[in-house]
Parts: sequence; C-alpha cells; structure tokens
Amino acid sequence: MPDDVMPRPESASADTAIEPILTVPPVAGVPKPHPILVVDELTRSFGGLRAVDVDHLEVERGVVTALIGPNGAGKTTLFNLLTGFDRADTGRWSFDGQPVSSPSPDQLARKGMIRTFQLTKSLAKLTVLDNVLLGAPSQVGERLSAAPFRSRWQNQEEANIELAEELLDRFNLAHMRDELAGTLSGGQRKLLEVARALMADPVMIMLDEPMAGVNPALAQSLMHHITQLAFEGLTVVFIEHAMDVVTGISDWVVVLAQGRIIAEGPPWKVIHDDEVIDAYLGRRRAGG
Amino acid sequence: MDFDIIFGNAARAAFGPEAVILALAAIGLNVHFGFTGLLNFGQVGFLLLGAYGTSVSVATFGWSLWVGILVGLVLSVALAVALGFPTLRLHAVMFAIVTIAAAEIIRILIGSTDAIGLTGGPLSVSFDAGAFYDLNPYPDGPHDRYGVGTFEFTGQQMWVITVGWVLVALVSLVVFLIVRSPWGRVLKSIREDEDAARSLGKNVFSYKMQALIIGGVIGGMGGVVDAIKTSGADPNGFRPQVTFFAYTALLLGGAATYLGPVLGAILFWFLREWIESFLRQLTAEAWLPDAVADFLSGSEGVISVAMVGLTLVLLMLFRPQGITGNRIEMQLDAR
Repeated sequence: MPDDVMPRPESASADTAIEPILTVPPVAGVPKPHPILVVDELTRSFGGLRAVDVDHLEVERGVVTALIGPNGAGKTTLFNLLTGFDRADTGRWSFDGQPVSSPSPDQLARKGMIRTFQLTKSLAKLTVLDNVLLGAPSQVGERLSAAPFRSRWQNQEEANIELAEELLDRFNLAHMRDELAGTLSGGQRKLLEVARALMADPVMIMLDEPMAGVNPALAQSLMHHITQLAFEGLTVVFIEHAMDVVTGISDWVVVLAQGRIIAEGPPWKVIHDDEVIDAYLGRRRAGG
Repeated sequence: MDFDIIFGNAARAAFGPEAVILALAAIGLNVHFGFTGLLNFGQVGFLLLGAYGTSVSVATFGWSLWVGILVGLVLSVALAVALGFPTLRLHAVMFAIVTIAAAEIIRILIGSTDAIGLTGGPLSVSFDAGAFYDLNPYPDGPHDRYGVGTFEFTGQQMWVITVGWVLVALVSLVVFLIVRSPWGRVLKSIREDEDAARSLGKNVFSYKMQALIIGGVIGGMGGVVDAIKTSGADPNGFRPQVTFFAYTALLLGGAATYLGPVLGAILFWFLREWIESFLRQLTAEAWLPDAVADFLSGSEGVISVAMVGLTLVLLMLFRPQGITGNRIEMQLDAR
C-alpha cells in the first residue's frame, strides 16, 4: 500500500511540525498548541437538516489534517462555510489569529486560505499555464489602470511564469503547458487545480477530495507533494474517502458524522475508535 | 440584373457609418459576453443613451456638441453602474432578463409623449452637428465623390466614416491591450467559472462591473456616432433587434477574438445589403412569376434580415467559432 511506495520525510518532520501534535490527546474539540484556524459553535441547516454543527474545532498549523466521515456527514459543507462559499447560520471563527466575520471567499483567499473543489473547476478555455498564473497573488497587471501598459507588469509576469512552470513540472503537467485546460483528463485537472492553488502562495490549503479520479501513480506523487508541503510549513486540510490515503499522509484526522465532530486524533488511533467504526459501518450490536 | 449596383450598395453599407455603429456595439458586447461571459441583452440601451445624451444636450439644452458627446458617454457609464449594482451578483440568466428589460424601459420612457419637451418623445429629436462637419477635411461639393465605380461616398460621409473607423481601430486596440493582460485573464476566468476566480482571491463583482462599464461606454460611442450621422435620434432606432444584430455580428466574426466583432459588423452589413439589393433587382425581372414578384416587392428588407438570420444558423452548424474563432475552444463548451 502507499506507505512502502511513498516514503514520508519522517525524520525531518518528526523533529519540527509533527511532534507537538503528537502530544495532543485524541479527544474531539481538543485545543492544539499552534492553531491556525479556530472554530466555535458553527452551525448550518438546510431546512430541517442540520448539516454542520461544530462546537469547537482547532486546526494545527503546519500539519496535514484529514477530514473524514461517511457520505453526507457535512464535510464539504464545512469547507464551504470556512472558505466563505456558504453562509453559516451561527458561529464564529478565526484564521491566522484574526477573527473572521461574514467572510467573502475572495477576501479569505487573499489572506491565504486557498481551497480546491470536489468537482474540479479548471478554466477550460484558458491554457494550462494561464490557469496556474491566475493563482498568483497581488498581480499589478490585474489592475485596470496598469493592464494596458505591459512594461508595468511584465517583470512580475515573467517571474510568475517561472514559478508556474516549476509547479507544472512538479505535477507532471509541463508538457501540457500551452494546451487548453479543457483538453486535460479528469485526473490532470485535479493536479492542475492543486498547482493553481499553490501558485496563490497559501498559508493554508483546503483540498476537497484531491485524489478522487486521479490515477494511482499520480495520486502517489500528489500525496508525496502534500506531505512535502506540510514539511515546508504549509497547513493542509483535505477531505478524503480512501483510508489508505488518510493513514498514508495525514498527521491528524478529524471525523465528522451527521454534521458533528465525533472524534479526532492521530490516524492510527482514530481508525480504531469504536465511535468512528460505528459511524461508518452502522451501530454495532451489543456483545457482537 | 446589374451586379455592379448590387455590389456597390453592399460595399457602401459594409464600410459606411451603420457598420461603424454596429462594430462599436459588437466590440462592447465582446467585452461583456465574449471575454467576461456577461449575457447582456440590452446593449442597445447603451447606444440609446449615447445618442440621446448627445442629441438632447445640443437640441434641448443648447450645449456644444463636444459637451453633448461627453454627456452621452457619462450616461452610458451611469447605466452600467445602475444595472450592475443590483444584478451582477445574480445568476447570468437574471442579468440577461434585467438588461433587456432596462433597455426597453428606457426606450419607451424616452419615446413617450410625456417626454416630448425633453427628448422629442415619439417625434424624435434633431440637432445641428455642424461643429463636427466644420472639421471635415474632404471637399464636399455637390459633385465630389470618393471611391471607385458604384462604391463611393460623399465628402460628408467620408468624414463620418473616417472618424468612425479610426475610433473602431482605437477602441479595438485598447480592448486588445487590456484583455491580453493579467486583467483580461481574470475576466476570462470569470467567464469560465466565477467560483474558481473567487477561490483564488479575485473580486469577481468588481471585475464584472469594470467590464460592464467598458463595454457599455463602447456601445455608447456607437450611439454617439449614430447621433452625429443622423443629426438626431429616434426612439424607433433603438429597438431590441439592435442588440441581436450586434450579437449576430459578434458571432459571425467570432466572439472572444479581437477582430471578430469588426469583421462581423462589416460582413453583416455587406450580406444584408447585398441580399436586399439583389431582391430589389430580382422583382424587376420580367421572367419572374407575378405571384413571386408581388410577394417579394416591398419586403426585401425583411427577407434580407431573415437571410442574415439563416446565415447565422448555418454558421452555428458548420463553423460555430465564427470567422476568426478557434474551433477547439468552441468544442470545449460541449464537454
């Protein structure tokens, strides 16, 4: 399984980012030593259905956190709330030490919280390179007053192109550089979206099922990239269904069921948690 | 059947002021629809305000023509802002409905009898565009003609179309410069997927508003040219089909290309006038059965518009990207 194919940078990360999180007890809603995202009393209902009902959640900075849960647990809804794509009924949260009130997606993105989507949103009629370049933050040439004058944005653009080419190379998309993104396969689009998100120079990246539809070999390299990113100091939160992926790359797992956080902890502990098994497989019979 | 005359008529229409006006309307639409994905079905509203802003300023308030032109363009900006604030956050279809309704409301208000004192109401408004023609460098005697054979213009017409095509060229250049930049990249990303643009930190509303204003002002310039060409404005000249003609020109030439709207406008008027002239000559032919001749005569204009519509249908079937568009880009829509 993934563990033997993809070596984790264990020695290095154990010294730096991973260690503090290991001291945290595996209890739902537990405080963390260096939280980047703190959520309180977050709720969102659709009609009579309470899709998300989170009392308290902290996401540790610089580690890979997996958000898991059975279908319909509210994982994507939680993502949408935290990134401003959906409005919460109640709740407050802070990101990177600053309280977030009535967030708009673009403001949060400019603060460094970048997300990807479960159904990829590659921009079909833009080239692969342009897709990635779009991610670059604070571009001078994106202001109308500077746009007509190439000399004012050319240097920045060239630097961005260099960076974008590195990213494309990392994700095996370099040969597709000048193709329209609409011609990519489903898996390649997932990779493109991750590359584009990284181009935005995020503080925290939120990936909604990044591995879904990606062929196993590419998924391996994507997992490797994700661990590498956390090693470099990026906070990663991802939604995933495949347990081998979760145990393979996450440092911490948060389990959502029916909108509530029912468990969290290191992967090897969480997957043996009775309540988690109940949530996935249905309630176990007494004595069974 | 005199094909020289038919060709002359078609060529005059293709390069005359009507084509300039249509080209400007289509360039504006290209910024809205082609690059940003804004489904503006009320482009004629911007032309109307450009034309009436100019005409009313001069005719009713007695201001100079140059002030009038400025008023026309400012009104176009005002319409873009007024339309954009409540509707740009809505779904694309809502935006389409609101724009077509807004343009019609403005036309009906301006053409109502209550507005006679201000805009001339249904009677139309006319003014003296002398300030513009005073600058005409072309000698304009009764026998001065410019062109070859049946394709020729008077001195006054030459002046209007010279200024008009220079304006079209300048506007096209500005659109080219801003759209090939990172700013234009954001516009296209909004066209492809707003949420993707938002997730990367782009303020989608602000970009849509900028695009709406720019495309609207370009449409307003078309209205100004119209006002100068006819020395006035008439509410009937601003019916919704003007917007649809602009869409036809844009799609003929190729949406989201730089030259598409200009080529499309030229081709639109060439085809329309060629067919109409051809039909006029045809009805005069002796060999034509009376029933057919009766049917055709008097409705050449209508039939030629229908033929242009047919051309558009054929184009969509066989070359959906337009003349200058990229076929592969179009095919991505189907995925």
